[in-house]
Amino acid sequence: MKKRLFSVVYMFLITLFFTSMVSAVKLLSEERIQVNEKVKLQRIVLNVLGILGEEAPSDAEVLGIFDQRVKTISAQERTVYVGYAEGGRTVLGYAFPVGGPGFWGPISGMVGVDSGATRILGIAFYRHSETPGLGARISEPWFTKQFEGVKLFPIEEDRKIFYLKPEGTGRAPNELDGVTGATGTSRAVEAFLNRELDRFLADFRTSLEKG
Amino acid sequence: MPKPIGNAQIIVNGLWNDNPVLRQVLGICSTLAVTNLLVNTLVMNAGLIFTLSMSCLTVSLLRRYTPMRIRMMAQTLIIASYVIVVDITIRAFLPDISEALGAYVGLIITNCIVMGRCEAFARNNPPWPSFLDGLAVGFGYALVLLTIAMVREPLGFGTLLGYRIMPEGFTPWTIMIMAPGAFFTLGVFAWFIKAYFPKTGEEKKEG
Amino acid sequence: MVQVDTGTLFFAAIFTNNILLTNFLGLCPFLAISREFRSALGLGVAVVFVMTCTAGINYLVYYHVLLPLNLEHFRYIVFIVVIAAFVQLVEMTVERYFPALYYVLGIFLPLITVNCAILGASLFMIIREYTLYQSLAYGAGSGIGWMVAITAVGAIREKLQKSAKLPRGLEGPAITLIITGIMSLAFLAFSGMIQIQ
Repeated sequence: MKKRLFSVVYMFLITLFFTSMVSAVKLLSEERIQVNEKVKLQRIVLNVLGILGEEAPSDAEVLGIFDQRVKTISAQERTVYVGYAEGGRTVLGYAFPVGGPGFWGPISGMVGVDSGATRILGIAFYRHSETPGLGARISEPWFTKQFEGVKLFPIEEDRKIFYLKPEGTGRAPNELDGVTGATGTSRAVEAFLNRELDRFLADFRTSLEKG
Repeated sequence: MPKPIGNAQIIVNGLWNDNPVLRQVLGICSTLAVTNLLVNTLVMNAGLIFTLSMSCLTVSLLRRYTPMRIRMMAQTLIIASYVIVVDITIRAFLPDISEALGAYVGLIITNCIVMGRCEAFARNNPPWPSFLDGLAVGFGYALVLLTIAMVREPLGFGTLLGYRIMPEGFTPWTIMIMAPGAFFTLGVFAWFIKAYFPKTGEEKKEG
Repeated sequence: MVQVDTGTLFFAAIFTNNILLTNFLGLCPFLAISREFRSALGLGVAVVFVMTCTAGINYLVYYHVLLPLNLEHFRYIVFIVVIAAFVQLVEMTVERYFPALYYVLGIFLPLITVNCAILGASLFMIIREYTLYQSLAYGAGSGIGWMVAITAVGAIREKLQKSAKLPRGLEGPAITLIITGIMSLAFLAFSGMIQIQ
């Protein structure tokens, strides 16, 4: 009996000790993790708006640039990042998060459009659970760069903003290369991204009309 | 009671004779998935070495107090705690790599090697040798996986640690980025080792 | 919320994203046990059962206990405790009510607890934000996929042992890995099969 009691007490004590240790570590790094998340998001926004270009500035620099050049507003229940040109007066464009079901899990992305919402400035897919080497290739530069310059228009009937075709077969400027071997992911992206872009355009028009 | 062996021998054993991957192909689950990029492998292995050595050390320190019946539970708790610490640390300091590693860091808990070493060595030996054993086995494991990564990344991406090392006209072997590439690379590696360095230390292996 | 329908997820978990052949999980017992077809099959069935049930239980624990209490960083510990407890429960039940089955599976059951695949399935399901039904389908599919992989390789190894004469270096882990690699390659071909509307 005594042995059993000791076992239980022992287990309880070491559980207490180790969970405290873990909690302590978590508390200590929480702030840092949050800053990381923030910088990551800001970096993506700056990238899709084209403010960053080819360089990769440090975290502190990102925070600074974001502060200067981007204003976060909330419109129609969504967060929109308004990017300004160097002087701080003219609007460069807008960036907004998009999300939708991928093949294996939700895909989170960010789209940057120009100030008149007439074309795409850039996109990024920053969170997904797609198969590495296949669906996961949507985060690769060759895929995302294709979207730069794609014209935006409200979706009618069967004309979509962009199509993902088998690699190399696209003819029109809005027929982009899908990922070979990742039909599921490509289709999912085509579906939700078109939808999200259309939704943004509708919201944008309403906001513009409101002034 | 096996004869206590010197610390130097412990290190050699960990790195070579008892190398878990090469001898028994154990514990590769958690790391093999990330060997398509060298930097991910480095971080993953660092996490494993930390967990392994600290767990062995802790188990050894507590070995006289832990009741026999619950030692598995206790060991699991200890290992899991260190793994969580590693996970949080990577997420705080290397967020991009943390995303790439995904759930695999957590899977260090079920890595056969960690539990295996605690059972086989740390449970019966004093703290310092246990810690060394953990370190040595961890490094032995890391060596193998780093070698695999050094094959997979150049062939699959054309880079090493992100720097392009293959000539311009090189067509990447995409198969190396994906699962089969890992199996083939490790298989060939194991074949090579077994063919040229057949098991020597089997009689000398302590319990 | 993932829009993939549960049936597709189930089949994809078996073929295109096989937890062993694509995600490398569950290799340890795989290499030791798969030498014999029968034992591989037995172990496989046990794994399917445990994986499905623990996926469900862990889902409930995570979303109804851990998240509300802001303790999700403890999920690693909690999940493995749930798995260990569940396996213990299964072992006791099988021992008492199905002694014949226990005789066959007995030694495998404790091995299941440390099977990376079981913990892995639970962790992936959280990362991918599946619903309860999707988690169950994913758990069942992954388990079956694992079983398919292990029995297939087991059968090949058994045959190889009887008929082929391998160079000494290839015996054991090396050839198993290469066979697994080829099988993984073969399963990649399935990725064209799964379509979603």
